[in-house]
Amino acid sequence: MSDTRQPPKNLLELRGIHKCFGGVIALADVSLDLRAGEIHALLGENGAGKSTLINILGGIHRPDAGIIRMAGRDVRIGSVAEADQLGIRLIHQELALAPNLSIAENLFLGREPTRFGLLDRRKLVADAQRLRDELGLPELGDVQARVGGLNVARRQIVEIARALAQQVRILILDEPTASLSEAESEALFEKLRQLRSQGVGIIYISHRLEEISRLADRITVLRDGRSIGTQNAADLDMRQLITWMVGRELKEHYPRPPHQPGEVALSVRGLHAPGVHGVSFDLHCGEVLGLAGLVGAGRSELARVLAGVVAAKSGEIAVAGHPVKLDCPAAARAAGIALVPEDRKRDGLVMTQTVGFNLALPWTRLWAPGWMPDFPRRDAIVGRAMTDFSIKASGPDVAIGTLSGGNQQKVVVGKWMEKPPRILILDEPTRGVDVGAREEIFELIGRLVTRRMAVLLISSDLPEVMNLSHRLALYRDGQILRLGQADEFTPEQVMSELTRQPKIS
Amino acid sequence: MKHLRSLLPLLVAIAALLCIFTWWVPQGRFLTPANLMDLAQQISVNAILAFGLTLVILIGGIDLSVGAMVALAGVVCVSVLNLAGPLGGLTAGLAAALLLGLINGCCAARTRMPPFIITLATMLIARGMALGFNESRPLPIAEDQTWLLALGNSRLGGWLPLPVIVMLWVFAISTVLLHRTRFGQHLYAIGGNREAARFTGIAIARHEVAVYAICGLCAGLAGLIHASQLYSAEPAAGQGFELNAIAAVVVGGTSFSGGIGALPGTLLGAIIIGILDKGLNQAGVHFSLQYIVKGLVILGAVYLDVRRRKE
Repeated sequence: MSDTRQPPKNLLELRGIHKCFGGVIALADVSLDLRAGEIHALLGENGAGKSTLINILGGIHRPDAGIIRMAGRDVRIGSVAEADQLGIRLIHQELALAPNLSIAENLFLGREPTRFGLLDRRKLVADAQRLRDELGLPELGDVQARVGGLNVARRQIVEIARALAQQVRILILDEPTASLSEAESEALFEKLRQLRSQGVGIIYISHRLEEISRLADRITVLRDGRSIGTQNAADLDMRQLITWMVGRELKEHYPRPPHQPGEVALSVRGLHAPGVHGVSFDLHCGEVLGLAGLVGAGRSELARVLAGVVAAKSGEIAVAGHPVKLDCPAAARAAGIALVPEDRKRDGLVMTQTVGFNLALPWTRLWAPGWMPDFPRRDAIVGRAMTDFSIKASGPDVAIGTLSGGNQQKVVVGKWMEKPPRILILDEPTRGVDVGAREEIFELIGRLVTRRMAVLLISSDLPEVMNLSHRLALYRDGQILRLGQADEFTPEQVMSELTRQPKIS
Repeated sequence: MKHLRSLLPLLVAIAALLCIFTWWVPQGRFLTPANLMDLAQQISVNAILAFGLTLVILIGGIDLSVGAMVALAGVVCVSVLNLAGPLGGLTAGLAAALLLGLINGCCAARTRMPPFIITLATMLIARGMALGFNESRPLPIAEDQTWLLALGNSRLGGWLPLPVIVMLWVFAISTVLLHRTRFGQHLYAIGGNREAARFTGIAIARHEVAVYAICGLCAGLAGLIHASQLYSAEPAAGQGFELNAIAAVVVGGTSFSGGIGALPGTLLGAIIIGILDKGLNQAGVHFSLQYIVKGLVILGAVYLDVRRRKE
């Protein structure tokens, strides 16, 4: 770090970075400058390309095109080891620690101290303790404790300590405070400011605007894989930032089905579960209730409780006025609740099988009640679903993996409709779906609502959830902050509510 | 001292088994110095296989081909022995197994084929190659090959079997490798969280190849000892050895999903399996029942281990 006393103006320059994953454009012409001794915040909605960008810097992905320049020299970051040599440290959102090893072992993973070629355990522990004390991270505690037994916040601290254990020129943090308390976050900020004064360039990703406005020197917004603009924090314009982030709302419009709320379909009172802290709401027949929140807010956790995948700790759930106990998915289904899960490839479909197999799977009791399957009946169920939901496939025997994302999603929804559920929970229904299919899914939601179905729509796509929902619930940290008619909210309001620093810790 | 604590149940089990068989085997023939030395000698081949397998299982892999490698190393060694002398024979036997280990490792590291399938295939290939020698008949070791015969049969000071010394020597080297080097540390990281290891910049492929190669080398050494003990290299030798070695590894507390385990546990696991084999035999239990008892012991040991780990 001694050579940064006379820092070149730009420590890192990215020019025209492109990256595709199997035909899907993740980054298109991204440019970014990072100065030595600067905290540069990277803002953007989910899927804006932030993670791809930092993975390129960390040597995990290679760009398809573009130039990376460090201190004026063109560099190629071909592997994690090469990023390491350049002094680039990445702190991942998904914690990259080995749970079976101790804190000390994780801190020095890949560069353990040795003596005469043998591992020097005593030095390993001593180094770890010294690192803990030098960094002022007493939270690390006993460095010989196993990482698997630590809570998420402490694991995060281990990750940060690991990144700081070596000479670092560029430090990249991906939502480091997502699971930290306010005091812990404050300690981290102090550490980052200290590193900044030593000339380290820091790229900081966060959803929390307030946090960024206090910490960052400059802010760059990414949207749909493009760098939209950069602002100095000194003359920060919050409205401008939010418009940059939300942007898309201006050019797209979603049809909202007419709102004719009927009787209460689902009533939740004081629901507690892992990641869900006291949620109450009513969902009516023939309405879309939107749950707007960022990733990690606990929305999917709520969906899983309602689908009976995860058991609730306390609280009451009633379907059509009758209290129900949702302790397994079968119970939820019997109560008339169906979930379209967030990760359809993992939780929603049998990817090794055909379209017909997936559509018929929930109804084996109907078409295979005994030991002789009634194949004509099965084909009828599949055929109805395929025409009803206009699933574009050349036939029911086509492998589900060959369908587009949108058509796969229609299968996930359509497989429940032989006997339509009373309540449909959609968790990020348009993730990884192209624009045309998006419209079709919206139309499908509209059709179900006119058939008096109650829909709980979970989405982190703000324009989508605001335009499609009749009522809107702002959701953060496992709680509903505000619930009201969708027309009462403006996107700017919602965004700033959702990204505000949590008051409780 | 947490190591000692995790080994304690195994030590207790060994003590209990020794007590049971001392009481069960007639005429006090079990707990005699000579009998225990025989026991140690019989354990050594399985233990050497199990040490190599521990490393493989630790990184989340498996190697089914070690039993066939035992046979291949033996027949290659004896065949070359007759042409190129003792040193050439030993080297060729070890090299054959090492080569197969390298093939296993390269397939596992460079392709996305699961190790179970890769090593199932190389098991068949190695067995076929071994059976190709001498029309599948045993190759006797000539009596003037004193070196090779000593490897499996000689006793230091008239009582300590050489194979036991070799086994302890392999144990010492592999223990240092696993518990006292960066290489070993990285194996734990790969087994515990492969992605984390990758993100840390650990060259996973190189480690994986090395681990399977070491496992092959262990199998080769075990093959030479086994041939020596039989006074001949048998193309059909080593059938089912891989399963006995896997049993020793899992009874010794190594997690089948990787990341957890240690070599002292494997040594004790091999001792437990060895005592069971010999004890049941000497107690006159019908061999059909021996299989069942061994199966139940493995089931019980792994169940206890899984439950202990959950707490």
